[in-house]
Amino acid sequence: MAVAQAARGGQAQAAHGGQAQAANGAAARKRPRFSSDLPQVWIGIALIAITGFVPSLVGNAYWVHTFQLVNIYIAAAIFQNFLFVDAGQKSFGQGVLLGLGAYVTAIFFGLHGYPFAVAALVGLVAAFLGGLLFALPALRVQYFHLGFVTLSAAIVFPQLLMSLDRWTNGINGIPVSMPSMHKEIALGLSPLTILVALFPMAALVVHYMIRRSTLGRRMRVAAVSPEAARTLGIRPGVMRFIAFIIAAIGTGICGILYLPAVSFVSPQGFNVELSFVFFFAVVVGGRGQMLGPIVGIWVVFILPNIVLAQLVEYRLLIYGLLTLATVMAFPDGIVGTIERWRVRRAVTGRGEEAFRVDAFLDGLRGEREAAPGSDIAVEVRGGTKKFGAVVAVDEVDLKVRRGEVHGLIGANGSGKTSLLNVLSGLSRLDAGSFLINGRDATRLAADRIARMNLGRTFQTPRIFPQFSLWENLKVGIDARAGTASPDMARLAAQLEAEFAEDSAELLSHGQRRLVEVMRAMLKEATIVLFDEPAAGLSQSERANFARLVRFLSRRMGKTVILVEHDLDLVWDVADTITVMEQGRIVASGDPASVARDPAVQHMFVGGRLA
Amino acid sequence: MLSEIVIIVVRGIAIGSIFAMIAMSFNIVHGATGILNFAQGSMLVLGGFAAFFLANGVGLGWWLAMLVVSGLLVAALLAFQGWITLLPLRSSVEQDSWIISTVAVSVIVGAVLLITQGPFAYTVQGMAPPFRILGVRTPGAYALAIGCMLFWFVALRFFLRKTFIGLAISALSQDFDAARAAGLPVRRLQLIAFAISGLMVGTAGFLVAPVISVSSDAGLRYVLNGFVAAVVGGIGSNLGTLIGGPLVGVVTMLTAYRVGGAYQDLASLLVLVAILMLRPQGLFGRVSARRV
Repeated sequence: MAVAQAARGGQAQAAHGGQAQAANGAAARKRPRFSSDLPQVWIGIALIAITGFVPSLVGNAYWVHTFQLVNIYIAAAIFQNFLFVDAGQKSFGQGVLLGLGAYVTAIFFGLHGYPFAVAALVGLVAAFLGGLLFALPALRVQYFHLGFVTLSAAIVFPQLLMSLDRWTNGINGIPVSMPSMHKEIALGLSPLTILVALFPMAALVVHYMIRRSTLGRRMRVAAVSPEAARTLGIRPGVMRFIAFIIAAIGTGICGILYLPAVSFVSPQGFNVELSFVFFFAVVVGGRGQMLGPIVGIWVVFILPNIVLAQLVEYRLLIYGLLTLATVMAFPDGIVGTIERWRVRRAVTGRGEEAFRVDAFLDGLRGEREAAPGSDIAVEVRGGTKKFGAVVAVDEVDLKVRRGEVHGLIGANGSGKTSLLNVLSGLSRLDAGSFLINGRDATRLAADRIARMNLGRTFQTPRIFPQFSLWENLKVGIDARAGTASPDMARLAAQLEAEFAEDSAELLSHGQRRLVEVMRAMLKEATIVLFDEPAAGLSQSERANFARLVRFLSRRMGKTVILVEHDLDLVWDVADTITVMEQGRIVASGDPASVARDPAVQHMFVGGRLA
Repeated sequence: MLSEIVIIVVRGIAIGSIFAMIAMSFNIVHGATGILNFAQGSMLVLGGFAAFFLANGVGLGWWLAMLVVSGLLVAALLAFQGWITLLPLRSSVEQDSWIISTVAVSVIVGAVLLITQGPFAYTVQGMAPPFRILGVRTPGAYALAIGCMLFWFVALRFFLRKTFIGLAISALSQDFDAARAAGLPVRRLQLIAFAISGLMVGTAGFLVAPVISVSSDAGLRYVLNGFVAAVVGGIGSNLGTLIGGPLVGVVTMLTAYRVGGAYQDLASLLVLVAILMLRPQGLFGRVSARRV
């Protein structure tokens, strides 16, 4: 709340202050929206309302019943969509979670006569526990492993329903009668009709809200780039775990609603085909699109089961062919392809103007000039890192003073990036230790180190194309350890006003690099690690980058560790230079003395100092 | 009692050999492309159908010829599948569309078999005569399964280490970009890897047809057990599959005898979850250096 107020305050100041032109520029240029999520949510709610309510209003019992089931499946597909795209998890077992919710509720309500509310609660707990079965491996592994775990669960589930017949009634299934749910209360609508229409709408809204939240952004970052996520203080395993649990609860509720809608459960209703329907619906409808699951279920489920009902034995073939055709011909799915047309027509690159920040930076602490202090921000003591027989970092001792720009140079394979990965916690020392701000960080995971105000960039900038340019920056704010400083809140407000509806996909390499730097700045990292930042930058971009590094160090007092091959750049900006060779440090000191050091002379053959 | 142990161990190892062959066929494609083919089980079942339609109750010469034909047919089908699976990967930013397309192919193969052959399990006569181990009569196909696994293990080892194409495929699995930069015909090598995986499961399915369930819905179960075998052994390690496959086979057979046949797949699922929680790199897998 305090942050939001600060941001609003910052915006007001910006409008009056020197950076007014940037904010006004954004207002003057009316840009099309970057994301169509919100309009899609509204269209989705309208579509569900029409299909959910109109059949009752006109009194068509067949379509009432059909769309009850369709809307339940849509809700399940919405959670599949969330799991698939926002958390990056391919689950082939969502039908199991729906089945657990339905079956356990049926057992307690239909077989043992518990009140429906109690039975439904037990059913929900069962779905939750089923979700745990998927989520626990997700803490450790990812990618295709979970696809196989969930697919096996989808195959095992109906087998268990059959063989545990003492509890499940086996192949006979469980009939359930709930007349009160089907009784008309007004305008031909029954409580059930209202519930099964409201729930997918709620699911859609929940998906949208999660996506807009910090948690949602963190999930998507973790899904796209686990390493980048870890350096932003995110634990990808935990994100996957949370996503599976959310999807399990949502899908479990679908199962509970399934019971009054179908009035019967049997093992055949929850075979692997059901899970495929949800998965394929998301793919065909459009992965990640809010409307994707709705359109997907209509095509994948309604088409073969209702429109082509006489061909019912062909439905698996139809699912498979539709999905394969989608992947081959239009991988974005139906809604995604339409969305792509919209974006292509609406969004144009802004070339060199797409991402400039100089004007914003001028307002930051312009008056003060900081100098490197004498205390130590980062210290490595006898650090050794091995990969098998290769010693990448060999008993390195390194001290980085607070506020200095520390250049780390050396040939390819000399251990610079390995050292950087150790410092950011992405890999662990085999021997020795290192301290950040005087605290031992040797055994800390990357996300913990990230929360010690350390930020880094990668050799290939990590840009998330599904985020707007502003959201790409905002993941830095999400990772901030404390509350925002007033300067940064003002900067954030300006950046939001300028870049909220811009795409990050069309940015040049240099601009992408700048996005990462700004991300680390918004994270308010006090120690910033740059991994070969100048690679691929043009001459003028290099000059700009050098200015930016100086700005970070001198104006903002940040400690910078710079791994770089461009020796001109390093000599230009560094206060201290350390030279590595085959994992060892061969020279370290101020630029002038390092340049004279006989141990490093051979590096400069053909270079500026030859 | 002794006979039960013999049945569990011998048949478990033999069924496990089938899982091991699926796991090895995973490995060669995974090494070359990063893809794990979810349709591999359906392809094995196709080999079984080939045995039913081409070689049920025929003479040895014809049977051997049909074995080769079955292997080549499935190899051709897998090369085609590999081609369509790799097509979208050429341009798309997203590199995991293969999970969707291989699952879709698996569903399509199962659906076509269901429509054309019905939901029944087909019985295939064995070519190899039954034999006795410690007094227990055992169908010859079990011995063929174990022999086939060992044959493919040795053949793959020779192929990947001694032939030019095999070495090139190994190079792909070690450093894809370097292999491409060195001028290797990457796409062609990947299709060859797919074809070899087809040759493996096509012949394996043909040989073990008398003792597996040759039915339209069996593919998914075999691919899952094959995956468990691959994970237990460590994905990428063919030596690991020689342990992982029989281990999973014995566990499922033990479950079938002690708990009930309906719980076999549950047992493999639990093995899979346990190994992923405790040792995700598998018994012989290596933790690879991280690339940032």
